[in-house]
Amino acid sequence: MRHALAIARREIESYFGSPIAYAVMTVFTFVSGLFFSNMLVHYVRQAALADAQIQKFGRSEFQLDVPTVVLAQFFQNEAFLLMLAVPLLTMGLVTDERRKGTIELLMTSPVRGVEIAGGKFLGAFAFLALMLLPVVPMFAFMGAGGNWEAGVIASGLLGLLLLGGAQIALGLFVSSLCENMLVSAIGTYGLIVTLQFIDTGGAAGGSIWTRLLGSLSFYARHLNSTRGVIAAADIVYFASWIALGLFLAQRSVDALRYKRS
Amino acid sequence: MIRLSHLTKKFGACTAVDDLCVDVREGEVVGLLGPNGAGKTTTMRMITGFMPPSKGRVSIAGFDLYDHPIQAKRKIGYLPEQLPLYPDMTVCKYLAYVAALKDVPAARTKAAVALAMERTRTGEVADTRISTLSKGFRQRVGLAQAIVHEPPVLVLDEPTSSLDPQQRYEVRELITALKGRHTVILSTHILPEASDVADRVVIINRGKVMAVDTPANLAGRLRACESVRLEIGARAAASAVSPDAVRESLAALPGVLDVHAAIGAAGIITARIDSAAGVDLRAEAAALVTGRGWRLLGLSGDSLSLEEIFLALTRDEREGGA
Repeated sequence: MRHALAIARREIESYFGSPIAYAVMTVFTFVSGLFFSNMLVHYVRQAALADAQIQKFGRSEFQLDVPTVVLAQFFQNEAFLLMLAVPLLTMGLVTDERRKGTIELLMTSPVRGVEIAGGKFLGAFAFLALMLLPVVPMFAFMGAGGNWEAGVIASGLLGLLLLGGAQIALGLFVSSLCENMLVSAIGTYGLIVTLQFIDTGGAAGGSIWTRLLGSLSFYARHLNSTRGVIAAADIVYFASWIALGLFLAQRSVDALRYKRS
Repeated sequence: MIRLSHLTKKFGACTAVDDLCVDVREGEVVGLLGPNGAGKTTTMRMITGFMPPSKGRVSIAGFDLYDHPIQAKRKIGYLPEQLPLYPDMTVCKYLAYVAALKDVPAARTKAAVALAMERTRTGEVADTRISTLSKGFRQRVGLAQAIVHEPPVLVLDEPTSSLDPQQRYEVRELITALKGRHTVILSTHILPEASDVADRVVIINRGKVMAVDTPANLAGRLRACESVRLEIGARAAASAVSPDAVRESLAALPGVLDVHAAIGAAGIITARIDSAAGVDLRAEAAALVTGRGWRLLGLSGDSLSLEEIFLALTRDEREGGA
């Protein structure tokens, strides 16, 4: 455990020593804020319109719970942004150690492959959590409006952490396969974008295959959490992806010994 | 302390290391000597557990590297040829990180890092980022990470390659200072380096052990003849001098087998005297040249270079096989 924590700590420090991580964090925060304010303005206008209709005609065709709608939309957008950000955070996890030659230090130390994979995962996951932190004050705007949906916010953030964790674990595995950071990022994009949208092709059908693909989809699983619902099945689902990613990464790191490099 | 038995590594059809058997005693410094591509780095990587051998076993301080990898690895400090440094870390933080990986107890980490920096004289750069360090300092930091957990066994892969002569000297001094505390196996392709620090030298070529011996014995065994190299100024000499005259007079010395002499562009005659093994003609040759009133510009006993040793060894092998 001490090894994994040391590796995680070094990973976090190296994020803060690297321009890539700062750039990702800055852009992520900026675009999150942009989405948030745009949506807030949009739905507040809609709500005002609805209010005006109710006053004029006594009824309106749309009834709007602004905080719930904005939060649901916002967390879905954040899930999309995570998909773009995570491969940039995971591309170097193992790849960079191989490039620098520091993998030789890790693999000749009394450290197990599972500790390397676990430490790397923890480091990237902690950075992701830090990256979500600047998003939290945005919710204060909603609090100022009187509707502070703490439950929805908590479930939304937890949903993002679960989704991000699954993406990181898979990105870590891809990184352990690649000698080139760009290839590592592209491979991770391919994998997690596919998993995000794997159910979209069969949305109309009802066969076992479409249901199977639907149950595999990151998007479909993540949707609940954006509406304030955290189901045990969703937690198990994302935890399983994390476990699978870590298992594959650990096997792959151990197998690096057999490479000629 | 280090026992390599029948160590073999194959990469596809190519055999990088072939049936290597070496025993290193406690406290001994062994030099692994060979040209580039001889299998030195592959051997080092198998000793440190970075690479599994195709065949054979490695045992470190009594622990088999494959049955007890964690225990065995705790006993090893390893300086790979490509330094395993994180450029964005400071020296102090980096060494503390390595100490954690190598199971130095948390309470002792600070002291261990300080000691490693003291022994490698890197204290002055403790809070400097590794990316800004000079090559020589980086090499020392590399050495510091290898000794931070005070391992009984040190494995150093080309510790002085790509350093300038001054840095080379300093690193060699450091390694000499480590003698006694650690059992060391180091690789190099420079013979004088091995003979300076090593108690025993293992010469490998194309993955095979060619010879195992002390540096002095090795040089003596391979030296079939001794030779002396002379430079004589032909211009403004007190008496006339020509290559022929030089050859004639030097050939008259006792024990000479052969003499070559030729005149170079700058009017300098270079001569080489070959004599039987164990016959040192340097003093006699110098006395003769100055006695004739010639201007002696240079004189050196030719030592056998690594290349010559290899040529000699591979020649023996070819002849033995034929």
